[in-house]
Amino acid sequence: MKFRIFRSAEDQTGSGPVDPTETPRMGGQLLPEATATSKAKATEEPRAYEASDLPGPTVVDSPPVGPIKIAARDVSVFYEGKQALYDVSLDIPDKTVTALIGPSGCGKSTFLRTMNRMNDTISGAKVTGRIAMDGEDINDRSIDPVLLRARVGMVFQRPNPFPKSIYENVAYGPKIHGLVSAKSEMDGVVESALKRAGLWDEVADRLQSSAMGLSGGQQQRLVIARAIAVNPEVILMDEPCSALDPIATARIEELIDELRERFCIVIVTHSMAQAARVSQRTAFFHMGRLVETGDTEDIFQNPRERRTLDYITGRFG
Amino acid sequence: MTDATPDQIDGAAAKGRLDRLRAGLKRRHAKEARFKWFGRLAIAAAMVFLAVLLVRIVEQGHTAFYTHTVTVPVYMDPARIDRAYPQGSNFEQLAAEQQLARWGIQDDAAGTASSQMKALFSSELKFVAADLVAKRSDVIGETVPLAVPLSDDADLYLKGEISQSTPQDQRRINDRQIAWLERMQAEGVVGSHFNTALFTNGDSTQPELAGVLGAVVGSALMLMVTALIAIPLGVGAAIWLEEFAPKNKLTDIIEVNINNLAAVPSIVYGLLGLALFINWMHLPRASPIVGGLVLALMALPTLVIATRSALKAVPPSIREAALAMGASKTQTVFSHVLPLAMPGVMTGAIISMAHALGETAPLLLIGMVSFVPGVPHAIDQPVGALPSLIYIWENASERAFHERTAAAIIVLLVFMIIMNAAAIILRRRFERRW
Amino acid sequence: MIWIYLLFLVALGAAAFLGGRELARRRAVGAKPHSRPGQHGAYALIWVAAPALLVLILLSVFATPLERQLTAAGTPEAVAALEPFRRDAFFADAHRVGRGEPALQIWERPLAEQLPVEARRMVSIERTLQWGGGLGAILAALIGGLFAFSQIKPQTRARNRVEGWVYGALFVCSAIAVLTTLGIIASLAFDSLRFFQKVPVFEFLFGTQWSPQIAIRADQVGSTGAFGAVPLFAGTLLIMLIAMCVAAPIGLLSAIYLSEYAGRTTRAVIKPLLEILAGVPTVVYGFFAALTVGPILRVFFNEIGLFLIGGPLDGLGQYLALVQNQMALTAGAVMGIMLIPFVSSLSDDILNAVPQSLRDGSFAMGATKSETVKRVLLPAALPGIAGALLLAVSRAIGETMIVTMAAGLAANLTFNPLDTVTTVTVQIVTLLTGDQEFNSAKTLSAFGLGLTLFLATLVLNIVAHRIVQTYREQYD
Repeated sequence: MKFRIFRSAEDQTGSGPVDPTETPRMGGQLLPEATATSKAKATEEPRAYEASDLPGPTVVDSPPVGPIKIAARDVSVFYEGKQALYDVSLDIPDKTVTALIGPSGCGKSTFLRTMNRMNDTISGAKVTGRIAMDGEDINDRSIDPVLLRARVGMVFQRPNPFPKSIYENVAYGPKIHGLVSAKSEMDGVVESALKRAGLWDEVADRLQSSAMGLSGGQQQRLVIARAIAVNPEVILMDEPCSALDPIATARIEELIDELRERFCIVIVTHSMAQAARVSQRTAFFHMGRLVETGDTEDIFQNPRERRTLDYITGRFG
Repeated sequence: MTDATPDQIDGAAAKGRLDRLRAGLKRRHAKEARFKWFGRLAIAAAMVFLAVLLVRIVEQGHTAFYTHTVTVPVYMDPARIDRAYPQGSNFEQLAAEQQLARWGIQDDAAGTASSQMKALFSSELKFVAADLVAKRSDVIGETVPLAVPLSDDADLYLKGEISQSTPQDQRRINDRQIAWLERMQAEGVVGSHFNTALFTNGDSTQPELAGVLGAVVGSALMLMVTALIAIPLGVGAAIWLEEFAPKNKLTDIIEVNINNLAAVPSIVYGLLGLALFINWMHLPRASPIVGGLVLALMALPTLVIATRSALKAVPPSIREAALAMGASKTQTVFSHVLPLAMPGVMTGAIISMAHALGETAPLLLIGMVSFVPGVPHAIDQPVGALPSLIYIWENASERAFHERTAAAIIVLLVFMIIMNAAAIILRRRFERRW
Repeated sequence: MIWIYLLFLVALGAAAFLGGRELARRRAVGAKPHSRPGQHGAYALIWVAAPALLVLILLSVFATPLERQLTAAGTPEAVAALEPFRRDAFFADAHRVGRGEPALQIWERPLAEQLPVEARRMVSIERTLQWGGGLGAILAALIGGLFAFSQIKPQTRARNRVEGWVYGALFVCSAIAVLTTLGIIASLAFDSLRFFQKVPVFEFLFGTQWSPQIAIRADQVGSTGAFGAVPLFAGTLLIMLIAMCVAAPIGLLSAIYLSEYAGRTTRAVIKPLLEILAGVPTVVYGFFAALTVGPILRVFFNEIGLFLIGGPLDGLGQYLALVQNQMALTAGAVMGIMLIPFVSSLSDDILNAVPQSLRDGSFAMGATKSETVKRVLLPAALPGIAGALLLAVSRAIGETMIVTMAAGLAANLTFNPLDTVTTVTVQIVTLLTGDQEFNSAKTLSAFGLGLTLFLATLVLNIVAHRIVQTYREQYD
């Protein structure tokens, strides 16, 4: 529904969506160099995948530096037959914050949800293309979404702690995955997750009280603690601060910056400023297509695409 | 360090963690599959129950829809028929003796044979013959063929529900009677046909003559009273609560009250009816007026709840538009909101009436457990109702009533299906989405 | 008789409407009227109809009691000296004679002479009441009409007044609900009080012997009949527990499957089928229990019993071989089947009220569906489901037909599901459908049981609704 509205808007403005076949005209840096860089890293890091195995992203400006954690190629998503995402190809580097920006309904959240196969839970959703994490296609039949989601955590728009105690919320992941058996071990895991999420000092004395009693910002940090308690490799964040006040937002942003050292973080955000503050890489989505991607600084200072410029300068959105 | 703090999980540790994750997977998926199967089993169980319930009723009841008639020639013996008072003559004995004579069977002194023969015919024979004689006195002295239903036991035997293999003392029809029945069948005087009596007669103590018409009419009269009382009151109450009620303590009390009334056991309404309408107001026992009042009070809360949700579904913009045009609150509700909510209101009304149709317990308490022969025609006379008829027949000792009970259930379910289907069609037809 | 009055009143109402409208038109000449003529007409109509209806309703409610009062007031001594139920029979006969029907009993000397006199007196009282009521109604209508006509002026706010009446009428409709509750409480409490005068509350609530049928003779009331309701409570509880053991798991699991696993098509097929199961009248379930489930279970246990006889479990075998159709298990199991759709649809609603974000949160953590259901949804929905189950319990203890048709009458104090037990509702039906004798403790005890049942279900419902309400608000 929303999508149709955008299509008609597109027809009026005449600025058609990016056609993957026209990539060279975009003037983006072409693939081979991107591959070369990642390949160089790949030799040092045995677990990183061989990027050259895959056809490169079609829209790439500056290639990411460092090992690639997730490589998406020609990913399209359909809801009940309606296409919501068109042939997105994107490399997401490890131990980096990648921001997905774009106007609402542009497909950034949809793309985010392909990376932990959350679209599987929506009936009538279909994902095509290839998403590789450490070289393995996560949509492959041999990949268990349960296992995948243990490796790729997710934080949602609205804080959604379970109506249980703070302790049980954090212990939820380790418990279901059977990662921790002894009670003392679990105490340690909960404590360290809460500490990493910067919540420990605030809740240490009331671990057994209900998580619903926390403030919005605290709840969101609790949810982050819940996600990192299973030690995922990737954390997806879907507008994690949109329901929070500025102070809580600042706190979360700080946290994201700290977490970057250990995790590959992908964050969807509405706020340009937030993308600029927390991310190193930025991808701009528009009408279901990836328009431009590159280092955050580049994107914000000299975007190559007219639409990117218009969006980040607030001409539409 | 045994504590697996995240800091330590790196490199090799990460691989160990993955292995650990994988190790549990099989068990977890097995659990998942098991759980899913529990759900499937639960649904299957519910469906099996439904199927068994319906199949059993059809299985038990379908035989009641046909019946057997025997045609016996009866010589209207002038010596044994009183012209002035034909009802007083023992036509059954006459017919039985003549049948025995035709077959050359000698009766003993106690008349065992003739009374056993008599037991094969329905007592309807007497009324058919008396009627004939009363209408045409010239038949006296002649032999006329009389078509009468077989008695319930003979009918059951022919339907195969009484087996000859059961010991003779445990069945209501003995070997000799069975032999006679088969002889009559061989002579071609026994015919089977659709059981019209089931639909054209009222209740009777003779299973072969008992029908549901009286109960159907009784239920219809009762539902009419219920509808006339409950629908206006329920719709009125719903309109007040949804559109006019101020937010105060009294409204809260009324709301809580209605919710609780919806869950009061139906038998309590029966007690209310007994104490209020019969013992205090002295309305006639077992009459449609009392039954209708009780069912109306019982149906009221569900009707109010259904009507309220229909009114809620009308978007506030309609009200605002009408009010903005200068219509008063009352005009807005009655000429704009209510017409739009009407399909929903009607659907709710029909469904609550269908529910009232099947309600039994309160009817028992207001006296609808007694035998009411014939077909009722007034709302202040004792009547039977379909559900109470089912209860009465189920309690009857004659086996032939069992199949008729199931048949009455089929009739009741058909009525309920018709009403529910009407509600569904109404909803489909007028469903409006804003 | 009442039809003639009604017809007359309808005519009067029509006249008031037309007359009022016409009058309003004429009086409006030259002025700017507040309301339209039709609204004045409606106003006049209301003032004719409302007082007349009020009188008629009062008449229909109070006529018979009033008639009894009047009859009793002028009772001759010979009749007044009779025992109460003989006196009732006498009046009933007088009533019959008054209508020209023969008396049912042959009355001895002084009474036989009184009978026609009393009959005439009763007829005249009845006539007076009918005529008086009818005339009163018409008089009320006329007075109301005259008042309304006097109010027809251009400045009268007829529309507002009519709307005031409509508002009032709608309010009265809502108030009926409260009146019904009061009526239930009053009718149950009144007869219960009379019962508790004969049988102490304590004995009723805590006595373990129930055999009301013994106390048939009027002078034995309460002395030989035993009215200890504990066996009934126990029986009700036992059958309810069996029913919940069937309904709770099946209903809950099918709700979980339908709301979390089933696809749209499955739902579209299963839900209407469950609705059919829910729509089957309870008398049909009773029939099913008595003639299908009962015999099946009995044969099953009897066969097991026969198998065990002579073996090491001989005693158990002997017992099982004699199990009856009317065991508590039969009624309980069928009641459970009846409650499945009830539990299922309530739980389905409750589960659907759990926000999707909790499911997403759990799935994103890598939980499987069953883990999500067991560890997140069920704990979150627990209060709601508890409320739903309480409502089912309240249905189970108030359910009448299944137990009446499939459970026994023997008031055994046992928790063995293979024994026959009886329930509160069965006893109410039994006590009130046999030959009733008014004022006997036996008949009145049904009202005591009814009051207990009403209070128990009321408390359950209030608690359940409150729980569900709080639960829903939590996620709103």
